Amino acid sequence: MPAQLQTLRRRIRSVASTRKITKAQELVATSRIGRAQERMAAFQPYADEITKVLSALASHATLEHPLLVPRPRVRRVGVLLITSDRGLAGGYNANAIRTAEQLIARLSQNGTEVLLYVVGRKGVTYYRFRNRPIAASWTGFSERPGFMHAREIGDTLVKAFLAGADGNVEDAGGHPSGDHGIDELHLVYTRFRSLMTQSPEARLLAPLGVSREPGLRPAYDFEPDSDTLLAAMLPKYINNRIFSALLDSAVSESASRRRAMKSATDNADELITKYTRDMNSARQAGITQEISEIVGGANALAAAGGQD
Amino acid sequence: MTASVHAGFADTGSRAGVGRVTRVIGPVVDAEFPRDAMPDIFNALTVGVQLAAGSRTLTLEVAQHLGDNMVRAISMQPTDGLVRGAEVVDSGGPITMPVGEITKGHVFNAIGECLNLKEGEKLDVKDRWAIHRPAPAFKDLQPKTEMLETGIKVLDLLTPYVKGGKIGLFGGAGVGKTVLIQEMIVRVANNFGGASVFAGVGERTREGNDLITEMTETNVIDKTALIFGQMDEPPGTRLRVALSALTVAEYFRDVQNQEVLLFIDNIFRFTQAGSEVSTLLGRMPSAVGYQPTLADEMGELQERITSVRGQAITSMQAIYVPADDYTDPAPATTFTHLDATTNLERSIVDKGIYPAVDPLASSSRILAAEYVGRDHYTIASEVKRILQRYKDLQDIIAILGMDELSEEDKVTVNRARRIERFLSQSMYVAEKFTGIPGSFVPVKETIEAFKKLTEGEFDHFPEQAFFMCGGIEDLERKAHDLMKHE
Repeated sequence: MPAQLQTLRRRIRSVASTRKITKAQELVATSRIGRAQERMAAFQPYADEITKVLSALASHATLEHPLLVPRPRVRRVGVLLITSDRGLAGGYNANAIRTAEQLIARLSQNGTEVLLYVVGRKGVTYYRFRNRPIAASWTGFSERPGFMHAREIGDTLVKAFLAGADGNVEDAGGHPSGDHGIDELHLVYTRFRSLMTQSPEARLLAPLGVSREPGLRPAYDFEPDSDTLLAAMLPKYINNRIFSALLDSAVSESASRRRAMKSATDNADELITKYTRDMNSARQAGITQEISEIVGGANALAAAGGQD
Repeated sequence: MTASVHAGFADTGSRAGVGRVTRVIGPVVDAEFPRDAMPDIFNALTVGVQLAAGSRTLTLEVAQHLGDNMVRAISMQPTDGLVRGAEVVDSGGPITMPVGEITKGHVFNAIGECLNLKEGEKLDVKDRWAIHRPAPAFKDLQPKTEMLETGIKVLDLLTPYVKGGKIGLFGGAGVGKTVLIQEMIVRVANNFGGASVFAGVGERTREGNDLITEMTETNVIDKTALIFGQMDEPPGTRLRVALSALTVAEYFRDVQNQEVLLFIDNIFRFTQAGSEVSTLLGRMPSAVGYQPTLADEMGELQERITSVRGQAITSMQAIYVPADDYTDPAPATTFTHLDATTNLERSIVDKGIYPAVDPLASSSRILAAEYVGRDHYTIASEVKRILQRYKDLQDIIAILGMDELSEEDKVTVNRARRIERFLSQSMYVAEKFTGIPGSFVPVKETIEAFKKLTEGEFDHFPEQAFFMCGGIEDLERKAHDLMKHE
C-alpha cells in the first residue's frame, strides 16, 4: 500500500507540472491569436487592392505569361506545405500533413513526380523521419511570419515554376543549378474560419487562373505596356498569396494550440482529481488497516492475559 | 529417508493413547489425555460422532499442547454433533495419504479418503505416507534451467517456465487464473510422460468437477491423482490438502523416480486457511491480520516442492491476489519461492486480452541470455522496452493526445499496441467461450514473430489482425483478410 501511495504521489506531481506547461501555453496562445488576427486584418486591404489591380491589368493583357498558362504535360509538381515550428498544437500539424499527403497521393497516382517545399519544423521532421526528400524548407517564423519570408519562399517557387520540368533552376548567381523545376504548384495551408474551426486546404497556386472581369472596365493607360507590367506583377501576386496563407496559418496555429492546450489542461485536471482520489482512498485504507491491526493485537493480548 | 519414515509409522499402534473431549469451539477441539500417552504435535486423532443420520468418524490434528495433559486439535471435518466426553483415539502418527500407482485416476480428500470409488470398488492401498515430511536436503537439490515449452506466446517469450521449477500464476478475482491452470494441464500434462497431481485447495467445487470430466474425456485422468479440499471444507482441511497432494507427488518423485507435474489451485487458500486456524488457536494476528507464522508455513510447503537429483517436480500454482494488491503479505510471501511468475492483470482483462498476462510485471529466473539464448533474451527485452515506453507515455497521451508525440514515439506506441494485442492467444480450454480453437506456437516461431514485430515488419497490418491469433502464418492470413475487406 505505501508503494502505491508513493507512485500516485509521483504521478500527481508529474501531471501537475505538465499542467503548468499546458496552462502557460494556453495563455500565450490566447494572446497570440489576437495579434495574429490584427496582422491578418492589416494585410487585407493591400491584398484586395493588388487583386483588383491585377484583374484590371489582366483585362488589357494577352495572358500569355508562363505563370498563367497551364502546361500541356504536367510531369513534376511542387507542393508547398505550411506547418508550425512548435508542437502542442493539437491536430493542427497532423491535419495539414494529412491533407498534403492526400494531395500527394492523388498527384502521384497520375504518374507525376512531387517535389516538397515545407514551411515549419514539424513538417520538416515528419518528412525527414520518413526519409522523404524535401526540395526546400523554411523554418523559424511560423507564428510571426514576415513579408520577407513570403518573398523568399515565393522567389524560390516562382523560379522553379518558370524553369519548368525540363529546364534548370537558376541558383542565386543566375547559373543553372542542375535541379529541374516544376510544372504546377500547389499550396497546403490551414484556413482560419473561426476560433473553433480551422480547416486545412489545398489550393492550386500556379498556373494562376485569371478571370476577366465582365462588364465595364476602368479606362487605364499602362506605362510600360500591360504585358510587361503583368510579368512584373505576377510574382509579387504569388508572394502575396503565400504571405496571406502564412498569416492565415499562423492564426490557425495559435487558435488550434489554445484549444488543444485548454483540453490538455482539462485532461490534466481530471487526471489529478482521479489520482488524488485514488491516493486518498489508498492512504485511508492503510490507516484503517493499521488501526484494526493495533486494536486486534491489543484485544488478542488482553484476551490471552485474561485466560491465564 | 523414505524408508525410515515409513518404518516409524508402521509400529504406531503400540503407543496409541485414548483421551476425552473437553471443549469444542467450532473446528477447534480440546482433549485431555493420560499423562503418559500424550499425542505428539501433528498426530492425527479420531473421534466418533453420533448424529441422527448415523455415526461418523472425525479426524483431528494436534496443533498445541496446552499443559495439564490437554491438547488442542484442529478438526478436518465439521464438528457438528461432537460432545464433551467423547472418546478420542490417538492414531500415533500424522495424517497419512495413500501413495503409489493406485492414486492415479482417483480423487482424494485431505485425509486420504477416496471420493470417486465406483460401487463395489475397493482401493488396494499398498503404501501410506504421512503428510508432514522434511524437505529434501540441501545436497540433494538440483536446480534446473531447462525451459518448458507451453506454446503460449506471452509465457514462452516473457516468462519462460522452468522444467522442474515452481511457477506462480498471480491474479485477482476473475482474471483467469483457473482457466490458465487448466490450460496448462491440457498443454503440458497431455503430452507428459510422468505423473500429474492436482491439488484443489479451497476453490470452487464446480471447477473441480469440470476438471475431472475434462480429464476423463482426454484420458489424462489415468496418470493423474487429484486431491481436493474445496471452499466448503473447514479450515483444517484446506490447510492440509496442499500437503496431502504434495505427499502423493513426492512418492512419485522419490520412490517411483518419475517426473511429476503438480498443479495447485489455489495456494492463497492455504495461507487463508492458515490464518483462520491461527486465529482459532488464539495466536496474535500479524500484518494485515495474517498469522504470525505466515512465512514459515509457506516456506515449509514450498521447500518440499522441489526437484532433487534425477527427478523433478514441476509445479504450477495459482495465487489469488486479494484486492489486486500485490503487496499483500500472502502473495508477497509466495513470490520469493517461485522460479517464474506470471501476473494476470485486471486492466488487461478490461481490454479483452487473454491470457491477461502483465508483460512488465511477470518475470522468470531463466529469462537470461545464458539459459534461453541470446536471441530470445534480446527480443524479450526489446518487447519489454517498447511496452515500458508505451506505459511511460500513457499520461502524456491522456493529457495531450497522440498528435503531440514525437515521430519515434508514435512508431513505438503503434508497435506497442500491436505487441499488446499479439500477446493474446486463443486457448484450448476457452474454445467453448470464444469459439476460436486453441493454438500452439513453438518458441522459435514466437521469437521470430516478435523479432519481426519489434523491427517494424508488421507495422502496416491493422491492429485487429494481431488479436487472438497464433503464429506468423495466422497473423498474416488475418491481416490480409482484414485489409482485403477495407
